[in-house]
Amino acid sequence: MEYIRKKISLENYTIRSIPKSVLITNSEGKIIIDEDNPKYFYGKVPDYKVDTKGDYILNSFGQKILNTINVDLHITQDIDDMGIFTDRAFVPSDTILPSPPPNFNSFSYGRLAGAPLNFYMTGNNTLSGNTDDEYLNRVKSYRVDDNGNPIYVPYLNTSDDSNNTFNGVIGENVKKITYKIGANPIEVSEYEQNIITEIKSGIEFTTYKKEFIQTIDEYGDNISFYKTDFMSNSGGWNINNVSLNAIIKKEEYLGVVFKPEVKSVVFINRGVADIFERHAILSELKTTNDIDTNRGGKVRI
Amino acid sequence: MATGNYGTIRPADVSVDDVEILYSYTPNRELITSVELQSLDPAEVLIPATTPNNINEVLGGLYTLKLPTSVFGSKGFYSIIIRPKEIRTTIQDCGVLIDNQDVKGLAFDINQIPAELQNRFENGNLVGYRIEYLKEVTGTGQDKIQNLFRIITSNNRALPITQNQGNGSASQAYTFNDNSTSVFCTLTPSSAPSIKPNAVPFIGNPQQNVIITNTFFNPVMLEIEMVEYDDESLAYALYSNQTKSLDDGIYTIYNFGNQIYKQYNLFEVKDQFSGKPLYEVREQKFTIDPTKDFDDITNF
Repeated sequence: MEYIRKKISLENYTIRSIPKSVLITNSEGKIIIDEDNPKYFYGKVPDYKVDTKGDYILNSFGQKILNTINVDLHITQDIDDMGIFTDRAFVPSDTILPSPPPNFNSFSYGRLAGAPLNFYMTGNNTLSGNTDDEYLNRVKSYRVDDNGNPIYVPYLNTSDDSNNTFNGVIGENVKKITYKIGANPIEVSEYEQNIITEIKSGIEFTTYKKEFIQTIDEYGDNISFYKTDFMSNSGGWNINNVSLNAIIKKEEYLGVVFKPEVKSVVFINRGVADIFERHAILSELKTTNDIDTNRGGKVRI
Repeated sequence: MATGNYGTIRPADVSVDDVEILYSYTPNRELITSVELQSLDPAEVLIPATTPNNINEVLGGLYTLKLPTSVFGSKGFYSIIIRPKEIRTTIQDCGVLIDNQDVKGLAFDINQIPAELQNRFENGNLVGYRIEYLKEVTGTGQDKIQNLFRIITSNNRALPITQNQGNGSASQAYTFNDNSTSVFCTLTPSSAPSIKPNAVPFIGNPQQNVIITNTFFNPVMLEIEMVEYDDESLAYALYSNQTKSLDDGIYTIYNFGNQIYKQYNLFEVKDQFSGKPLYEVREQKFTIDPTKDFDDITNF
């Protein structure tokens, strides 16, 4: 952070004019200042700009102008490259800790020696939001009603791998369709039989049949879709997205944006060399720069 | 050959909407009580300079800080911090991209961001922003995790979706979707220095509070000392016009505009019995005598 020190005299902003309109004659016949007069600002730094007559200076909109102490600043932005990263094998400690230390915090502890992966996992995280109706198409049946609209059949699994994944509708009424993508089929089956009250796996979408969202896509075109809510119970750090492999920054590459490489605008594979090649190369060398650029500067004549 | 090692310092052309200004005031340097910081509205006090002949183009680098005298009009020390604006929010989720399992990132809910700041979370707008973390259990000492930050390298609206792991299980990952209200951010470094490769494994946890800050300019701190006198005002005493009223002993010093700058009463203190002069006194007069106007006196 840049540190700037400035010394500014308040005298530059202090009113020293005494308008005639604030002068009065006292009982002794002496001219004095009426200090209660609203136009009397002598010795003060007013909040708004005033002229020598003690009147507020107004802008073009008839508003008083704020009295300000102006300081010019030079603000800059530093930009640096970030170096090169690479992987490094992670060697775990032989001693595995049975439980995290008290008040264990993955940030303050970092990679704690002997800490197994589950120390860094978080409980299932619930998140929700809004999106488009992209996934509604995946759960429709092949049947259509009299109007040609798709019929959504509750608990019809439309997944390609129906043994392992359930994609399908779990509820529908006149207002909305609720469906799951990527749920556990066994869990869905138990939910259908009222054995459980909630399907925790997969992403739950709720598409509202009569509510449209209109927006603009990245090309500036108008698009619209059914309002859709999403909800998931399976977020957070878990065995599927956390590992104990470290990625490290190589000190020798700090400040290096990319590894040295030879750049060629055009590369022509001449195939096998023939007896004419030497002469062909010579015909390309018009200047001394050509010697540097041909074959990486290694032209053998 | 050159290896592309580069860096630069450029004049910042940051919008005042991305700036935060704090200030504190102390009447002197010996203050014992702790300093209390207060906010200023950057839109009112920080004015960017515009390019000559094109008032719609910010010049870059040059900004004028207009400090209102209603706040900065006292003698003393004002410390002003001009820093990038902070956005405080909660990590909605952590995860990976569905087709790039090694690309970890954080998800944020746009709806949790104040409406005036939500455009910062559109695709690509958060690149370069810094994330700092608050402790998951607040109120335990320092709430902010000190000396720890990450830089956002990409951000896109994304939707959590599951991918089949077999055996009826599925894992959650993110897929880009421009109509989602979740934003997936990748960060750097999600790595550690080579001398301590086990040091920094994580980039955040779900439901953790974070502070997201832009890096559009380097923070600046100004210490402005408001004083009563400078070289100019001292020169009034030496070189400006002065009058001494022989009738009432009022000694008046004018500024270079012939306005009354200071007035003094000049008098002698005498022994009450012998009448012998003891002191010559110059005492500042706080009630100004307006009849000592320089132009009135000299226009005879």
